[in-house]
Amino acid sequence: MPAALTSTRHRVEDPGDAIEFCFQQGWSDGLPVVPPTEARVRAMLEAARLEPKQEIGFITHRAVSITAEKVAINAVMAGCLPAYLPVVVAAVEGIADPGFSYHGPGTSTAGAGVLVIVNGPIARELDVNAGDSLFGPGWRANLTIGRAVRLVMRNVCGSRPGTLDRGTLGHPGRLSYVIAENEADSPWTPLHVERGFRPEQSTVTVMAAEGPRQFYNQLSNTAEGVLTTLADDMRISGNVMGQPHYCVVLAGEHMRTIAGGGWDKQRIRQFLWEHTHNTHAHLRRTQRMSGAPEPGDETRLRPLLRSPDDILVVAAGGRAGAFSCYIPGWSSVKSSQAVTKEVKR
Amino acid sequence: MIELLDPTVEVTTRPITYVDRPRSLEGKRIGLIENTKFNSDRLLAKIGDILKAEYGAAEWRMFRKHNSSVPAHDEIIQELSKSCDVMVAGIGD
Repeated sequence: MPAALTSTRHRVEDPGDAIEFCFQQGWSDGLPVVPPTEARVRAMLEAARLEPKQEIGFITHRAVSITAEKVAINAVMAGCLPAYLPVVVAAVEGIADPGFSYHGPGTSTAGAGVLVIVNGPIARELDVNAGDSLFGPGWRANLTIGRAVRLVMRNVCGSRPGTLDRGTLGHPGRLSYVIAENEADSPWTPLHVERGFRPEQSTVTVMAAEGPRQFYNQLSNTAEGVLTTLADDMRISGNVMGQPHYCVVLAGEHMRTIAGGGWDKQRIRQFLWEHTHNTHAHLRRTQRMSGAPEPGDETRLRPLLRSPDDILVVAAGGRAGAFSCYIPGWSSVKSSQAVTKEVKR
Repeated sequence: MIELLDPTVEVTTRPITYVDRPRSLEGKRIGLIENTKFNSDRLLAKIGDILKAEYGAAEWRMFRKHNSSVPAHDEIIQELSKSCDVMVAGIGD
């Protein structure tokens, strides 16, 4: 006999009413949801072999326990297939990790989304897009996994816009913000292997993040040329004074150009760190650092990033097009760190 | 008829226990939790002064968190519990 589902039950007449009822209860992100019936929720839990009461995460700041049952209900509503649940669960484990420090990204006026990067075999098994139209739309796994994470944040953690979630602007990635690394075509060490996992393990990396910013370099055929453009674009971006994480997503053409020059991810990170310093004089003149420029400020440098290691480099995006992007992290690395969790199956 | 399962959190398995609020601040020692946001120290010092001048608090002390997004660290909590009767914390931009 399977364990009982203990969530409160609500009765409605038909599927149309169910969708409308979910809107009325404030359970939706603004789009229609799949009605969370017991049969659908059970199928989710069985696919991930989870007991309903199992605690997936505990948000210390809010004293909220996130159970498998609640994650499964929200995953159903988001439109996930049951096979996606282990990925959703790993992402929820990530945002509940003390390193991610949920309360900031889940509430802040700076309006972070949760960037979810999927690595390892499960990305290909579930068809998590790593290629054309990377940030969507078009792929069920990408759209619904991220949507499920945001619904958990809304319905379980209490991050509702205008109340606990005080994002001033937010961004479209807060609906869903899931990508996979293009490990099949990438010449580089995958992100999860750099972060201590084996290639055959599947992982989810979560990073509190602003929206993606595309940069153009359709001119250069060298690594240094492409990365010089990128660094110039990055230098004044995001929380310039905060020193957050950055995620750099290098798409097909740029990936091949940079790798063709023999550059690995470590060298890319080092170059970007070195070439994104700002002078104190510029920061003061542009009102990012307080006070008027002082003697020596024209040559005194402040790095955009605390360390080269705070940059996540991911190979992903379409094969054609000399575009890539960078994603400024929320706030600062001191406030929220990117976290990688294994997808357990 | 369709039965839907509620997606929202319904119980917290680890309830928080709050200390009762004091009836008066007269003679109380005030702890101010400074969260490192710009000017938060100045604002809190002002609040501490008002609590002394207008509400009879005995004194105030300020404690600085590592940053605004993380809970107060253990050293602060330990020191607060020893040296303060009430505390003031908050966040704003």
